[in-house]
Amino acid sequence: MIDFADVAMRLFENMYYLVSVILFVIGFHTMLTHSNLIKKVIGMNIMDTAIFLFFVSTGYVQGGVAPIIEPGVEQAYINPLPTALILTGIVVAVSVTAFALSLVVKIYEHYGTLDAEEIMRIRSTES
Amino acid sequence: MEDLIVRMVSRIVVPFIQVYGFYVILHGHLTPGGSFSGGAILGSSMILFALAFNLERGAKKLSHETSTIVECAGAGWFAILGLVGIYMGQNFLTNKEAGFYMGAPGDLVSSGAIVLITLGLGLKVASTVVTLFYSLIEVEGDAHD
Amino acid sequence: MTFINVIHAHSTVLLIVSFLLFSFLMPILERWKNSWCATMAVAAHVLAFVFIGNLSWRVFTEGTIHYELGGWSPPWGIEFVVDYLALFMLITISTVSFLILIFGTVDLTHELKPKVLGLYYTLYLLLVGAMMGLAVTNDFFNMFVFMEIAAISACGIISVKSDRECVEASFKYLMLSAVGTGCVLLSVALLYMIGGHLNFAFAAVAIQDVAHIYPNNILVALALFSVGFIVKAALFPLHVWLPDAHSSAPSPSSAILSGLVIKIYTVVYLKLLYKVFPIELFDLLPVFDMILILSALSIFFGSIFAIVQEDIKRMLAFSSIAQIGYVFLGIGLANSTGLTGGLLHIFNHAMMKSMLFLSAGAIIYCTGIRKIDDLKGIGLKMPVVMGAFTIGAMAMVGIPTTNGFISKLYLALGTLDANKHFYLAIILISSFLNCLYYFPIVINAFFGESEEEDGEEEIQVKKLPLRMSVPLIILGAGCMIFGIFPKYILVIIERAVEMIL
Repeated sequence: MIDFADVAMRLFENMYYLVSVILFVIGFHTMLTHSNLIKKVIGMNIMDTAIFLFFVSTGYVQGGVAPIIEPGVEQAYINPLPTALILTGIVVAVSVTAFALSLVVKIYEHYGTLDAEEIMRIRSTES
Repeated sequence: MEDLIVRMVSRIVVPFIQVYGFYVILHGHLTPGGSFSGGAILGSSMILFALAFNLERGAKKLSHETSTIVECAGAGWFAILGLVGIYMGQNFLTNKEAGFYMGAPGDLVSSGAIVLITLGLGLKVASTVVTLFYSLIEVEGDAHD
Repeated sequence: MTFINVIHAHSTVLLIVSFLLFSFLMPILERWKNSWCATMAVAAHVLAFVFIGNLSWRVFTEGTIHYELGGWSPPWGIEFVVDYLALFMLITISTVSFLILIFGTVDLTHELKPKVLGLYYTLYLLLVGAMMGLAVTNDFFNMFVFMEIAAISACGIISVKSDRECVEASFKYLMLSAVGTGCVLLSVALLYMIGGHLNFAFAAVAIQDVAHIYPNNILVALALFSVGFIVKAALFPLHVWLPDAHSSAPSPSSAILSGLVIKIYTVVYLKLLYKVFPIELFDLLPVFDMILILSALSIFFGSIFAIVQEDIKRMLAFSSIAQIGYVFLGIGLANSTGLTGGLLHIFNHAMMKSMLFLSAGAIIYCTGIRKIDDLKGIGLKMPVVMGAFTIGAMAMVGIPTTNGFISKLYLALGTLDANKHFYLAIILISSFLNCLYYFPIVINAFFGESEEEDGEEEIQVKKLPLRMSVPLIILGAGCMIFGIFPKYILVIIERAVEMIL
C-alpha cells in the first residue's frame, strides 16, 4: 500500500525536480502539437528552460549562497559548476532561438503563413 | 516612428545602459555576470538606440559590417589568448602558468587571462546581439520602412 | 625546431582550434578578399592533415593521448582523448570533408548567391571542427556544446540556399535536433546529479559505485541519451527530418550531412554506451536488443521508402536511413566482428554516400536533371560521373571488390557470431532492395534510350570541371581500393574495437 502522505512529502522535498519535469513536458507538448511555428519555438524554449532549472537545482545546497568567497566569512556555498554550465547552455539556447526565429521569418516570406499545416497544404498542392 | 519622448528618454538612458554593461563585463571575474550578461546589456543599448531613432542613424553608430567584424574578432581573440598559453610552453588556455598577471584576488586587474577573455567576449556578445537584430530587421525591413 | 615541438605536443587541441579560428576569420576575409575564402578553407584542411598525421603517428607509437585544456587535470578540467576510435573518426572526417570541399568550391558558385559564399565556408569549417571535437572530447558538457555547434552549423548549411524547401527543412531539423540535444542535456544532468563528475572516465567510476542506489536515474539517463542520439543519427522511427534536409540542401552539404554528420553521433553514442554506463545495467534494460530491432526496421523501411522516390537526391537520403541502420546493427550486435563491421561501414558509407551525393550534384550541375526517370542515356555523355555513381551503387549493394561488400561481410559474420540469424536475413533482403533502387538508375543511364528522340531537344550537358571530377575519381578509387585491400583501415578499427570491448 502506498503511503500518500509520504509520497507527497517526498515530492514536496524534490519540488524543483518535479516542477522542471512538468515544465519539460509542457514544452515538449507545445512543440509537438501546435502547428504555429512561433509556438513551436516557444515550446522549445520552455523545454530548454526546464532542463536548465533541473540542472541548476542539482547544484543547490540548502541555505547556500553564491560562491563569492570573502575572507573571514564561513558560509555554505552552492555548487557553482552547474550554474556556470547552464550559463553556457542559456547562450546556446539563445542562439538556437535566434536562428529558429530567423528561419521563421524566411518561411513567412516564402509561404505567407506561419501555420505548419497550411505550409504542408501549399507544398502538396504545388507538387 | 517619430516620438519625442521615446527619443529623449532613450538618448538619456543609452549611456547609462552602456556604462552598466561595461561594468558587468569588467567585473565578470569578481561578481556574478560577465561577458554574456554584460554583452547582452551593451548590445541592447544599441538596439534601443536603433529602435528609438531609425535604422539609418543606428547603422551610423554601429553598422552591420562593423558588428560582424567585431563579432568574428572577439571569437578569434579568445582563440588567440588560448594560443598564448601554447606559445609560453604550457597547454592551451593556460592562465597563471603562462605568465598572465594574476594580481590580488578581488582587484579589478586580476585573474590573468580571464579578464581579457571576458572583455573580448563581452564585445563579441554585444556585437552578436546587434548583428542578429540587423539581420532579422533587414529581412523584413523593406515592407515596413 | 620549436615549431615542430609545439605541433607534437599540442596537435590535439590545435586541430580543433585551427578549424574554429579559420571559420571566425572567414567573414572578415570575405569582405576583404572574397575569392580567398575557398583557398583558406582548403588550407585549414591541409593544416588538419598535418595535425592528424602527427596524432596517428603518436597514437601508434605511444598509445592513447590525453590532453588537458588549461592545464587543469581531468576531474576539474576538460580533457581531450585521442584513442584509436577517435583517430579513426578524425581520419574519416578529414579525408571525406576535404574531398567534398574541393568539389564544393566549384559546385557552390553555381548553387549559392555570391553574397553568402564566404559565409558558407564559415559554417562548413565550424561543422567540421565541431565533429572533430565530438570525436575527441571526453567531457559531457563539452560534448553538449559541440553537439549544439554541429546542429546549428548543419542547419545553416542547409538553409544557406534560402529557397522555400531548404528553409523549411532546416527549421524541421533545428526543432528536432533541439529535442535531441535537450534530451542529452537532461540525461547529463541526471548523471551529474548522482555521479558528480563530467569527465567520462570519472563519471563511469562514480556511476559504477552508486548504480545500485540510484538505478532509476541511470536508466532514465540511458533512455534519454538513446532518444537524443537516435534523433540526431536519424534511426528509423525518428528519421522524419532527414529526407527533406538532405535532399533540398546544396549537394556538398548533402554529402557532408549524409556522409559524416549522422555518423559522428553514432560514434559518440557508442563511446557513451561502452565507456560510461556500467555493464550490469544492460541486464536491467536490454538496450542492445532495442538497437538491433530499431536498426532492422531502419534498414528495411529506409530501403522501401527509397524505392518509391522520384527525386534522385531524395532517394539517396532515404538510402542513408537504411545505411545508418547497418552502423547501429554493428553497435547492437556487441561482439567484435559485428562492431568491426559497423565501424568499417561508417568509413565505407562516408565514402560511397558522399560520392553518390556528389555525383548527383554533378548531374544537377551539368544538366539540371533531378528526376530519376529523366536520366536515361546520360551515362555515355557523362562517363566520369555515372562511372562514380555505378561504383557507389555497387558498393551500396555490396558487390565483391567494393568496400560495401567487406563491411556487410563483417556484419553478416557478426550476426552469426551472436547467433542472431534473423538479422542476417535482414542484411540479405536489404541488399536485394538496394539492387532494386540503384541498378535501374545505372542500367537506364548507360543502356536506356530516350523515347522521343526527335521531338525533344537533346539534354544540354555542360563540361564537368576538373575540380569536380577529381574528388569523384578519388572517392571511386577509394571505394575499390578499400574493397580489395581493407586491411589498411582495419588496422585502426580492430585496435579500436579491442579497446572498446
